[in-house]
Amino acid sequence: MLAIDDIHVSYGRLRALKGISLTVAKGEIVCLIGPNGAGKSTTLAAVAGGVAATKGHIRLEGKDLAGTRPEAIARMGVSLVPEGRHVFGTLSVAENLRVGTYMRADRGAVAADIERVLAMFPRLRERIASPAGRLSGGEQQMLVIARALLTKPRLLLVDEPSLGLAPKIVDQVYEILLEARKQEGLTLLINEQSSHRILKHADRIYVIRNGHIQLAGAAADLADGEAIKRAYFGFGEAASSDANEEEDAA
Amino acid sequence: MIGFLQNLADALSLGSLYALAALGVGLLFGILRLVNFAHGDFISIGAYALIVPSFEVTAQLFIGTWNWSLMIPAVTLIVVIVALISDALVFRPLRRANAPTLMIASFAVSYVIQNGILMVYGARPKAANLWSGLDAPILLGDLRIPLLQVVTIGVTLALMALLTLFLKRTPYGVMMRAAAEDFRMAQYLGVRGNFVIGLAFAISGILATAVSLLYLSQTGTLGPTMGVPLALFAFVATVIGGMGSLLGAVVGGFLVGFIVIMLQAYLPEDLRVFRDAFAFTFVILILLFRPSGIVPTRAFIERV
Ligand SMILES: Nc1ncnc2c1ncn2[C@@H]1O[C@H](COP(=O)(O)OP(=O)(O)OP(=O)(O)O)[C@@H](O)[C@H]1O
Ligand SMILES: [Mg+2]
Repeated sequence: MLAIDDIHVSYGRLRALKGISLTVAKGEIVCLIGPNGAGKSTTLAAVAGGVAATKGHIRLEGKDLAGTRPEAIARMGVSLVPEGRHVFGTLSVAENLRVGTYMRADRGAVAADIERVLAMFPRLRERIASPAGRLSGGEQQMLVIARALLTKPRLLLVDEPSLGLAPKIVDQVYEILLEARKQEGLTLLINEQSSHRILKHADRIYVIRNGHIQLAGAAADLADGEAIKRAYFGFGEAASSDANEEEDAA
Repeated sequence: MIGFLQNLADALSLGSLYALAALGVGLLFGILRLVNFAHGDFISIGAYALIVPSFEVTAQLFIGTWNWSLMIPAVTLIVVIVALISDALVFRPLRRANAPTLMIASFAVSYVIQNGILMVYGARPKAANLWSGLDAPILLGDLRIPLLQVVTIGVTLALMALLTLFLKRTPYGVMMRAAAEDFRMAQYLGVRGNFVIGLAFAISGILATAVSLLYLSQTGTLGPTMGVPLALFAFVATVIGGMGSLLGAVVGGFLVGFIVIMLQAYLPEDLRVFRDAFAFTFVILILLFRPSGIVPTRAFIERV
């Protein structure tokens, strides 16, 4: 479904991605893990058309996405939930949910779909008329995921769904993503900083660090976490400053 | 008392023009972070579109002689086309530019339009008589209010209501508000960036046309820079109102109109020439107490 081939991305002089290659097959859940600043968010933004690769190719079902606008990529069935809860704060929850449905061809099915996501996230139904900016952090995270699902994506890119959420809510979010995959054949590419939850759910894992892919493998093969830990911190350079992060990672 | 009510009517009708102009400026600022100095020239275009191109001092109405039901759409179309062309030629290539660059580009657009008018119509101000029937006063007891003022206030309220309905109730309105708040996120949700920006330019052009027609009927003169002072007060209005807030632009517009008219009416005779200096002093005072405007927004948090 998605094939990223040796992409490089820079922000001014800073080289964020230095040759990332990865693939996601239809129906798969692939997880990208890595420490802060590794390039996870940049990779997802590159797929969604938010940043341009200076080198390399991103192909969606064989079609090269170079130079394609973000809105066109969205209309091809790719939805990105960026990090940092980008709700439209002055729009109501209902309006936020609708924004992503206007591009859909099956306008008749929208009302029923909204009903369905509200059943998944009852908190959103209670706050349906409030400005999204007034929701709590967790409610906003539910809103951005619900909003992305309502675009009816074929490929959903989620940047750190668990960031800042209570563990119970994180489980709930993952359940909903897995459910959407089962029901709609959704393909998922998810960023996380730590592997401990995602190992359960993912089919395959890539560890990214310092703009490079350090490790790739099936989740089942990496289940003990040792290889991930080594890739995450680099061989033999797990300096003392990283020691506390190591806990989180494992 | 009658004097004060008379002044109030003046303030409301002048404030209406500022509010309409400020809405046009605020809409583009909201979605594009563009401080559009060419907005005043969009207003001038609307007035010049009514007359036959010539260097004569007395303007001969051309589109201006048409029935209003034909004339208003025709003028609006011309201004909207000019606004869309400025977007396509100047602002679209600068989509990734920062706010100061966009503002400087709008100076360039303004310069080009003003010189275009000079070339086609000459530099001298022209007299033109639009809708002279509106001069008739309406009598409310001892109060004499020109019909034109009533029309101005009425048209302004109607346009504001329509704009509100559009923004709140239609899909494109919701998309525009979403894009104004987080442009990139709206794109990630399939909202076509260039389309909503074009829409904002078009609406800004419609609002500018309304100001052109109302202002020209009031003053009866055209000049190549006639829209500039209006746009200037509109900028002041958006700043007082809180950049990026449309409600703020409207409140700011009426407030500036009120301040200007009341100073004009109640300043001692020999200080009246300094009216605008006093008006701007008020503006500075307002901003000292409310630095982010009357209706603050997150507009200054830069887009990513
Ligand atoms: N908009 C930007 N402008 C400049 N530099 C950026 C920008 N976004 C990211 N970077 C830099 O690019 C590198 C990769 O950042 P990225 O956000 O992709 O990392 P990440 O893996 O998502 O990290 P985190 O876990 O902290 O979210 C970092 O060094 C970061 O500082
Ligand atoms: Mg990130």
